Amino acid sequence: MADRRPDRRDPAAMRRVLAVAFREFRHTVLTKGFIFGALLMPVIMVVMIAAIGALVGSQMAPVSGTLAVIDPSGTVAAFVPAELSPDAIAEEAREALERNSTLLPKGTGEQAVAQAAALAPRIDVKVDPVADASLEESLRAKVQSGELLGLAIVTADVLKPDPHDAEGNPATFALIVPTKSPPRLTGLLEKAVATSIVKARVKAAGTDYSSLNSLLSVPGTSVRRLAADGTEASESKVAKTLLPMGFMMLLWIATFTSGNYLLTTTIEEKSNKVMEVVLSAVSPMQLLCGKILGYAAVSALMLLMYGGLGIAALAAAAMGDLVSPGMLALMLVYFVMAYAFVSIMMASVGSAVNDLREAQSLVTPAMLVLMLPLMLWLPISEQPNGWLATIASFVPPAIPFVMILRVTASSEPIAIWQVALSIVWGFAWVGVFLWAGAKIFRVGVLMQGKPPTPKELLKWVRMA
Amino acid sequence: MTSNTVVLRNVTKRFGSVQAVRGIDLEVPKGSLTGFIGPNGAGKSTTIRMIMSIIHPDEGSVEVLGADAIAAKDRIGYLPEERGLYRRMRVTEFLRYMATLKGVPSAGLGRRIADWLDRVQLPEAAKKRCQELSKGQQQKIQFIASVIHDPELVILDEPFSGLDPVNSRLLNRLIRELNESGRTIIFSTHVMHQAEQLCDRIVLINRGEKVIDASMPEIRARFDPRTVQVEPADGDPRAAERLARIAGVEHARWLPERRAAELAVSRDADPQAVMREATATLPVRSVELRRTTLDDVFVELVGEAMPSSEESGNG
Repeated sequence: MADRRPDRRDPAAMRRVLAVAFREFRHTVLTKGFIFGALLMPVIMVVMIAAIGALVGSQMAPVSGTLAVIDPSGTVAAFVPAELSPDAIAEEAREALERNSTLLPKGTGEQAVAQAAALAPRIDVKVDPVADASLEESLRAKVQSGELLGLAIVTADVLKPDPHDAEGNPATFALIVPTKSPPRLTGLLEKAVATSIVKARVKAAGTDYSSLNSLLSVPGTSVRRLAADGTEASESKVAKTLLPMGFMMLLWIATFTSGNYLLTTTIEEKSNKVMEVVLSAVSPMQLLCGKILGYAAVSALMLLMYGGLGIAALAAAAMGDLVSPGMLALMLVYFVMAYAFVSIMMASVGSAVNDLREAQSLVTPAMLVLMLPLMLWLPISEQPNGWLATIASFVPPAIPFVMILRVTASSEPIAIWQVALSIVWGFAWVGVFLWAGAKIFRVGVLMQGKPPTPKELLKWVRMA
Repeated sequence: MTSNTVVLRNVTKRFGSVQAVRGIDLEVPKGSLTGFIGPNGAGKSTTIRMIMSIIHPDEGSVEVLGADAIAAKDRIGYLPEERGLYRRMRVTEFLRYMATLKGVPSAGLGRRIADWLDRVQLPEAAKKRCQELSKGQQQKIQFIASVIHDPELVILDEPFSGLDPVNSRLLNRLIRELNESGRTIIFSTHVMHQAEQLCDRIVLINRGEKVIDASMPEIRARFDPRTVQVEPADGDPRAAERLARIAGVEHARWLPERRAAELAVSRDADPQAVMREATATLPVRSVELRRTTLDDVFVELVGEAMPSSEESGNG
């Protein structure tokens, strides 16, 4: 029922394939949707992140005012001014960033930390120590009117060796702020008073706070991986966790974006009835090859763009050496494989259905298999040579996605034979997919009406 | 070298349990203008799709331009029944794409597209997107796409479907011009008068079988006229009842739009005798023996009237 004649008898086959490929590429890349969604969106996101940073900075107007601290003992209030000094605030912001940047290898990203510290709130808070607790009501009124930034009420109980109140509850302090107090300022005041209480307790215990702090903290550790051949490599959490995910997501974005375009344009050609017009000029195989080739160029463009941005970002953060030329070469091989799997599936499904809704039911089973690497990202990244990773890397069509996770996650390279086998095995499966997909495509493009069931698709493969 | 552009030998096609085409033998002479006629679902489009090698026969062979349609794709122009355009493409861009697929060199292609747009009276459509055109305009662009590469064989599946009378006439003229310049034309239709006007050869397909394959003069000679039209002098519709009683008249009906009675003459009667008797029966303005139309042939062969509307369907 469909074209079963070999295209090799058509001397103009390559010209037709290239004409189809060029049209598909041009009419995808030069659409507003693509330019905005795929090209401009990353740029917009970068600009937005930068803009948000700038906006946050601009909204943190310098704060000045007075914090009243009711502290009958006077020992806590004495520490508060130092805790609220601009230097202390900047130092705290820097430390917080360093704590949150444990994924970054040590010794990198200082510039980013310094920049972030520069965004710390600029405040000029005077501290008014109040020993007389009976003034609480009048001070509350001043908070209410906005005359005071806040009022901290510290009881003597907090300084006891066993800080509990008379009823046995943990002793703490109260902080009263105006309704309009910015949450970030409130947090700073709260932390300043809390730290001051700790410092007062330490002093009361006869110990030096900075000495104690040194005893309690361990500076950035240096984890080194010792390989079987005796070489040492620095442990990098980003290389272990985020980098493989980044590589796999890059494969996903590049292949599925163009795969979706392939699916929707094929469906559109059928529903527009333009398919038979085109088939009067090209054979179904030439059309399929042209489409796959055209969207391969779209996919490669996205890979280059996003991959280039990623590598540039790593280089800017002095982490460019995390990506080796070998990784990039393997990325290229697995990209070709991944794109082949995705594009053949999308084109054959698109040819068989009449609209996107019908396509969902046919695409879902394959998508579940392709979701495997996403779901197993963590265990595969943690144990790239484990049995789960090894088995998953031979399940088509997930092969390229799992393998890219493994080859980029491993501090030690995974066995060369496994890489080689995955490539041979994967491309053999690409051949099977192409064989079956082409048969479905040849029958599907001329089919109208009820969408086929998976059983009918198998029938098409056998009969075409 | 064969003088036939298309040769079908015992071509059969089934879709599941439905036999769409049953053992058709057909030869389309080079330079002819052949019409495939038949009711919806007769097998016209299936036959055309097999000629185009879009689908392949279960049995039999198809030869087009000495080979098959795949090898000769660039020498064939095809306007399918299910036709469409890339909606967001501009007209010139679409025609350029189709011409490129058909192997037209890019040099001079712009001029060729502009010429064709002029010929179909759509020069202003060049820069428009296809979706901005009316249905009739889109159909003319689709027609250009099928002939832009100057093919030797042009196959048009229901080309008049959806066109208004003005555009039908224009397309009619263009088809004639193509044929007069030596192109072999095959077109399908279920509208009889179009085939009768245009074609020098008719292939009537019904229920997947070829019922007639002959030139119009051969058809007229084979199916001698048996319909007499009588226009009473007073235009009285009751004349049909009186004329029905003439010996040899099977039945008569009044045609209000012509203000005339139409008499069906039985096989064993002489139409000339019926005409003489009609003039003797009542005063008449005119009496004529109607030429055999394809409609008449179809009714005689298939036993049902062809649809007169422009409705389309799978042939």
